[in-house]
Amino acid sequence: MLLPLLLRQAAACRAAPMRLLHRQAEHDLLRRRLPPRLHAQSRNRKSKSEQQQDEWSTRNKTVLTYIAAAGVGMIGLSYAAVPLYRLYCQASGLGGTAVAGHDVDQVETMTPVKERIIKITFNADRHASMQWNFKPQQTEIFVVPGETALAFYRAKNPTDKPIVGISTYNVVPFEAGQYFNKIQCFCFEEQRLNPHEEVDMPVFFYIDPEFDEDPRMARVDTITLSYTFFEAKEGQNLPLPGYSYN
Amino acid sequence: MSTAMNFGSKTFTPRPPEKGAFPLDHFGECKAFKEKFMKCLRDNSFDNSMCRLQSKDYLECRMDHQLMTKEPLAKLGFRDLMDPPPNQSDRDSKP
Repeated sequence: MLLPLLLRQAAACRAAPMRLLHRQAEHDLLRRRLPPRLHAQSRNRKSKSEQQQDEWSTRNKTVLTYIAAAGVGMIGLSYAAVPLYRLYCQASGLGGTAVAGHDVDQVETMTPVKERIIKITFNADRHASMQWNFKPQQTEIFVVPGETALAFYRAKNPTDKPIVGISTYNVVPFEAGQYFNKIQCFCFEEQRLNPHEEVDMPVFFYIDPEFDEDPRMARVDTITLSYTFFEAKEGQNLPLPGYSYN
Repeated sequence: MSTAMNFGSKTFTPRPPEKGAFPLDHFGECKAFKEKFMKCLRDNSFDNSMCRLQSKDYLECRMDHQLMTKEPLAKLGFRDLMDPPPNQSDRDSKP
């Protein structure tokens, strides 16, 4: 907005000295006065307006440079925002994302917190069109944070044709989900059951010992682990929840 | 599941398991160990701490039958159950 205004002013300035010169010349001819003073004055005025011109044009250029730099900066910031936000979420644990620092070596060195007993209840679900029979083999199990635990589900294919299933899981309460670490399970990969086949599906997991130190978890005594099986079409891949964060 | 479009609320993001998925035990090779474990759980009112030996046995069975990648048991959290050299291993077969 300002730019055209500035340009118009600059143009006006350029035109002004010409008009001024004309007027001066007319004055001189009419009044036959050619005081050198006026010439000098007009020359001064010309150089002053030229100076103004120069000032304005440099100011224009500076403003343009600043605006261009700001534009490029904004574009760069929008590209940088993606990994920065991800880092921030990991560091602060906002939105339920997995807190960074879950490493496999922790399993080796963690010590169980024997005073805090947590009940894990199991739930098994399947999609409406999934024909497997799927149920947990124990309704609940009592664990302590820092101790690895094993649990079993059972799945049976009662039909006459092989069915491929794929499962996902859910942990309630949501905030406890970040402390629930599965070492190995049967989820996120296609599992094929032949006709009339029945298998045991284990889940090997542990609750992070830091669970005991989190004030938000102070009243949490029961965690529910729920698995849901869907039928998988051959060759279809469930996207692994690697980078998903919401 | 977590279909919420509300950014402030608590949502659940599933995480893949650390060591991947267990291959299915189609032939029931470790069924006996699993039964021992389940019996132990039922006898101890589902207290996991009492049945860790059985769960260790089950995982060892899986590893022996190529149903699980072989790993030192300490890495699976069984450091306290690590038995010393084989002269004491006959004690583990107690149900």
